[in-house]
Amino acid sequence: MKVLLWKDNRKNIANILRGGSLKYAVDFAIATHDLTEGYVSPDGKNFSLKVKITEISKYSDSPDLVKKKKSDLKTILTIESAVEVNPKPLSDFKLSSKGKKEVTDHATAELLEIEGEHLKGLIENIPANVRKIMDTAKEMHFELPLSVAEKVQEIRDGLTDSQFKRLMQRIKIDIDSKTIDPYEAVGIIAAQSIGEPGTQMTMRTFHFAGVREMNVTLGLPRLIEIVDARRIPTTPSMVIHLKKGVERDQKVVTSVIKELENTTLLDVSEIITDVENQTLSVAPNKERMQERLVNFDDILSALDSVKQVTLKPDNSSQTVEVKPQQESFRKLYLVQEQLKALTIKGIPGIKRAIARADRETGEYILYTQGSNLKEVLQLENVDPYTTYTNDIIEIATVLGIEAAREAVFQESERTLQEQGLEVDRRHLMLVADMMSFTGTVRAVGRQGISGRKSSVLARAAFEITTKHLLRAGLLGEIDFLSGVAENIIVGQPVTLGTGSVNLVYRGPKKE
Amino acid sequence: MTTGISKRIQRIQFALLSPDEIRKMSQVRVITADTYNDDGYPIERGLMDLHMGVIEPGLKCATCGGRVDECPGHFGSIELAMPVVHVGFIKEIKMFLDASCRACGRIKLTDEQIEQFKKRLSQMDFSSQDPEVIGLMTKRITDEASARMVCPHCGVQQSKIYLDKPTTFREEQIKVTPKEIRERLEKIPEDDLIFFGMNKSVARPEWMVLTVLPVPPINVRPSITLDTGERSEDDLTHKLVDIIRISQRLRESRDNGSPQLIIEDLWDLLQFHVTTYFDNQTAGIPPARHRSGRALKTLVQRLKGKDGRFRSNLSGKRVNFSARTVISPEPFLSINEVGVPEKAARELTVPVSVTPFNLDFVRGLVAKGPAPRDDSDHYTAGVNYIIRPDGRRIKITDQNSEENSKKVEPGWIVERQLSEGDIVLFNRQPSLHRMSMMAHTVRILGGQTFRFNLAVCTPYNADFDGDEMNLHVIQKEEARAEARIIMKVKEQIMSPRFGGPIIGGIHDHVTAMFLLTHNNPLFTENQTLHILSYIDLERHPIPEIVNGAKMFRGRDIFSSILPRGLNMQFRSKLCKGAKNGVCEYENDPKDTNVTIADGNLETGTVDEEAIGPFSGQIIDKIFRKFGSEEASRFVDRMTRLSVGLISLYGFSTGIRDYDIPENAVKRIEEISVEAVEKIDRLIENYREGLLESLPGRSIEETLEIQILGITGEVRDESGKIASSFLGLNIPAVIMARSGARAKMLNISEVAGMVGQQSVRGGRINRGYYKRTLPHFRLDDIGAPARGFVKSSYKSGLNPVEYFFHSIGGREGLVDIAVRTSRSGYMQRRLINAFEDLKVDETHRVRDTTGSIIQFTYGEDGVDPTRSDRGDTVDVNYLMIDLGKEGKK
Repeated sequence: MKVLLWKDNRKNIANILRGGSLKYAVDFAIATHDLTEGYVSPDGKNFSLKVKITEISKYSDSPDLVKKKKSDLKTILTIESAVEVNPKPLSDFKLSSKGKKEVTDHATAELLEIEGEHLKGLIENIPANVRKIMDTAKEMHFELPLSVAEKVQEIRDGLTDSQFKRLMQRIKIDIDSKTIDPYEAVGIIAAQSIGEPGTQMTMRTFHFAGVREMNVTLGLPRLIEIVDARRIPTTPSMVIHLKKGVERDQKVVTSVIKELENTTLLDVSEIITDVENQTLSVAPNKERMQERLVNFDDILSALDSVKQVTLKPDNSSQTVEVKPQQESFRKLYLVQEQLKALTIKGIPGIKRAIARADRETGEYILYTQGSNLKEVLQLENVDPYTTYTNDIIEIATVLGIEAAREAVFQESERTLQEQGLEVDRRHLMLVADMMSFTGTVRAVGRQGISGRKSSVLARAAFEITTKHLLRAGLLGEIDFLSGVAENIIVGQPVTLGTGSVNLVYRGPKKE
Repeated sequence: MTTGISKRIQRIQFALLSPDEIRKMSQVRVITADTYNDDGYPIERGLMDLHMGVIEPGLKCATCGGRVDECPGHFGSIELAMPVVHVGFIKEIKMFLDASCRACGRIKLTDEQIEQFKKRLSQMDFSSQDPEVIGLMTKRITDEASARMVCPHCGVQQSKIYLDKPTTFREEQIKVTPKEIRERLEKIPEDDLIFFGMNKSVARPEWMVLTVLPVPPINVRPSITLDTGERSEDDLTHKLVDIIRISQRLRESRDNGSPQLIIEDLWDLLQFHVTTYFDNQTAGIPPARHRSGRALKTLVQRLKGKDGRFRSNLSGKRVNFSARTVISPEPFLSINEVGVPEKAARELTVPVSVTPFNLDFVRGLVAKGPAPRDDSDHYTAGVNYIIRPDGRRIKITDQNSEENSKKVEPGWIVERQLSEGDIVLFNRQPSLHRMSMMAHTVRILGGQTFRFNLAVCTPYNADFDGDEMNLHVIQKEEARAEARIIMKVKEQIMSPRFGGPIIGGIHDHVTAMFLLTHNNPLFTENQTLHILSYIDLERHPIPEIVNGAKMFRGRDIFSSILPRGLNMQFRSKLCKGAKNGVCEYENDPKDTNVTIADGNLETGTVDEEAIGPFSGQIIDKIFRKFGSEEASRFVDRMTRLSVGLISLYGFSTGIRDYDIPENAVKRIEEISVEAVEKIDRLIENYREGLLESLPGRSIEETLEIQILGITGEVRDESGKIASSFLGLNIPAVIMARSGARAKMLNISEVAGMVGQQSVRGGRINRGYYKRTLPHFRLDDIGAPARGFVKSSYKSGLNPVEYFFHSIGGREGLVDIAVRTSRSGYMQRRLINAFEDLKVDETHRVRDTTGSIIQFTYGEDGVDPTRSDRGDTVDVNYLMIDLGKEGKK
């Protein structure tokens, strides 16, 4: 459905909101007249007002008009109702004709209901019968996690109503008895639960994962990498799924691989420099070309982008002679370097891509060496919803912090699981949340979480002692002694667990 | 007396010391660069002046009159002849000089800018805001101010100031003396300080240039008297001597008008000494050294690092009432107990407050003296010290015990020796998780070692090859109560890591339970009596009459330690891999599943899956249904029962266990020859260039991958052949299949073939030029030349194989060494980052600043310790349990 977008000042927005049904005069002409909905933004970026438009007509002055501007008015919108909605960013709309700039004026666009679909999907995907069980729990005054509700649903049919009721009661008692105690030092428990099995993990950096041609860092080095929030992992790699319908198509797979693999001229050919004649000759290697899915024409078109040279392709021997237009050794050298780095095709960062057919579904899955999420997601045949990279920071920049949190959690769980170590997911969740709750991915360590602690003493006790103490003097920092390390340092009970409550016995009253 | 509410330090504010304050807190102005006179008495106004505290017994502090241990020590001060800069604040001084006007001292910002920044800074609270954020903000402000070369306030042209590391400032090739620096800093108005990130209420910039130096109390830098009677001074004292000496010379030179050059040299020297007094590892300065050539440990060195004040003395402290010795096993102790040797028990004490109610008892205790024994000559607790209400301690000896027992009155404290039933903390390092420190009740035993039940080895990660452990005696009632309720071993059976039991039977316990229940063997009445004599019996197994004799079933004997009302069903480890519900190792297909109904083991084999640590299904269910007490009772009795059975049965392994028939040996030899040939063919193909490379791999790598595949296959194949001849009648196989110790792989290494040795995941590929050993030809990449061991451990390895095997073994050792340090550091960082998180009353997770990390802990608010292996609820178990209860 087409909607109308425009920018207006806050005062006008307030007017529209207040007005109920009203006639609104705006300063732009609208070509199409079948619009029934519009979104207004105060800043041109986030659209927070949704209006229902019943009629669009040419401007003519009348007394009951609410005007956007004082003059230059062109159109009258009859607005039936207006509601305030959660601000929708511009990216939620697919602009039809005009570019982003025009939104400051007005634009027509299509609303992409990604967010709505997704949210609705989450709730609607729960089958009605499972939801019913969850509702029953609510009536009994407790929350039933979805996973448990699903299990109950599986056996629900074999139960009489009274049996079901008894089961639910039993589950309630069970959950109540398992609820975490207030003031529990969950952070320390999580840290211990992840740190302790560290001693049992392998150090071997390389391991085969799924595809034996591909190396992936696993074990302790990978776990350290995750908690360090390293900019680039040692072995970045992606798992790429194809869109529905083409996921079994060998041809599509080959073309996607071709699009993916970053191939430079040097990868497929020799570059021979002839100093005497001031020429460079590019001699492609057929085998390597085949391996990299490149043909002679690809090379030619790539060479076309090199400036200030004349190309002399020799189709019979499949070689190209490159001659700089200007004769100088310096130029020759520069062109040679340029050729060496010349990209024929592919996405920067992706060194290799290998396709594997899933044994059961026959679906092709691509595994890559190197990662570039942003570019790969834009490929036509790639399914953006299921494609994955192991580079957490990249996920954070491309998909946002929530995705990064999930990535930290999944990567750490996978690493531990692969080593056969059982660690409760709650611990990993806490680590992921702690690393991401500020909105950026923070490392576990002095540049990250520990360096940002509020207590001077705790920071001094961790690393770089003197720097923190001296700074504290200048700033007049106050240590409120609310954490663990600082209370141990001054020699008083910590504020966790039994230390966070006081039990005072007053004794019997004196008569 | 006490109200029961202890005082807490609310907060600590940091600040800079001003010269005035230093003088105010100074008890003496030190002017003599010397310590003691010839009589060994502190020189007045010297560095050991009695005003700064006492370290020698007999002397009294001139300031507070206290003796050693009473006087906390007092500061003195040194007036420096000329000011010097403080090394720790060099960067800040540079920033101040850069961003302020050299003439008027104002920050070089226009009034509009000042207004603008002020607005933003006013939202910040210097004393509690993240210093990182303040740092970034001030950096932006001062960078802007520093870039301006004309003062917007007074219009004076500015010039750039350079810092010659570590402590010299230069302006247009001319040195700026600390005195001038101080004068400039003094000019900076108070209201501008906020832009430099300085809190005007606690600091002034000129305080970063020192004119007077505090002298730390003598307690901080005690001198040591060596055996020879020679005095050895602390490093700080040495440094202070240097400072005073140079300061004095500088003052004299200045006063009698020495040449500027000499004065400047002395000034620089003073700067050097003061700098190294603070930090003796300043970059660009040679560290000050002791006469012996050792670098001095000055202030920064005292605080910094693992052995510094913070990590070594403040975050972790040495304690009294603790003991450490070697550990050894004792299967007759409960998991909740620890055996303490008498020698240790006599030294460790528990304080007992004397009240009218226990007066008689305590007096009797004191009267017994420090080493009493009861009528049967067994250990009984005595008393080491009694403490009077004024804090004086009286040592109890055999001679004075009678007399002192009469003196004891209510209000005194008696330090009683450890006795049976006391609660102590027991710990093994490294303390990687909370189960590394648990509370036990004391049993006094003979011998010299601490002893405990073998089931507790797993949480402590202990073995008995010389491990030592620590024991701490709890001194306060509150702590004792917490230890008993939270830290007791039985409360720690469940691991918070995965929500399953971490305490369970190991090694022989598993073997014994396996022997007891596998195929449900029959035991004679005598045998049964022996086995059951190890446990206190509540439920008697019912005999069966076989051939006229009373016989008992193994499973019935096992059932006698199960609590009534226990219902469960699971797959044993033995039958984990069973297909179609039929287990090849059980005679009766029903035994594929272990079934327990109302505390009776009906089918199946009890092995690691049932009673082991980590898996321990039975322990898990007992803990959940019947609680910690019942679970610990089960483990106690299970371990005892296993000792009862295995002492009757007799169980051992020997080289004969690994005998396989001649033709099997031959068959293994054949396949290894085949494999070597196959590898040779591959290599030939490779040499002829016929080998096709795998995508993304070079041909060499492809070859290696394929060879590794072949060697792996033979090893598996030989293992299969060997194990087909090794049945469950062989002890080694019983241990492997039941999960008691070793894997089938290890057995096949002994009986069949050891297989390919590896370094870094590949074949062995190092040593000499193009070959691993000089015994091979150059470029020989065949199987034997690259670490393929075709022999078995039993048949013995040839020298070359032995060598390669050692290489592989060494890699493992190196790996462990590297791993422990790396994972140790990771854990330290994790703990440090997460230590402050706690769950609040509504199950939200918060940090100390109050930020919410999670809205519901773990998304379902369930404690992982009590979760069902991570699941919120085990619906299937609840159904079984409900069903069984329903039938009743």
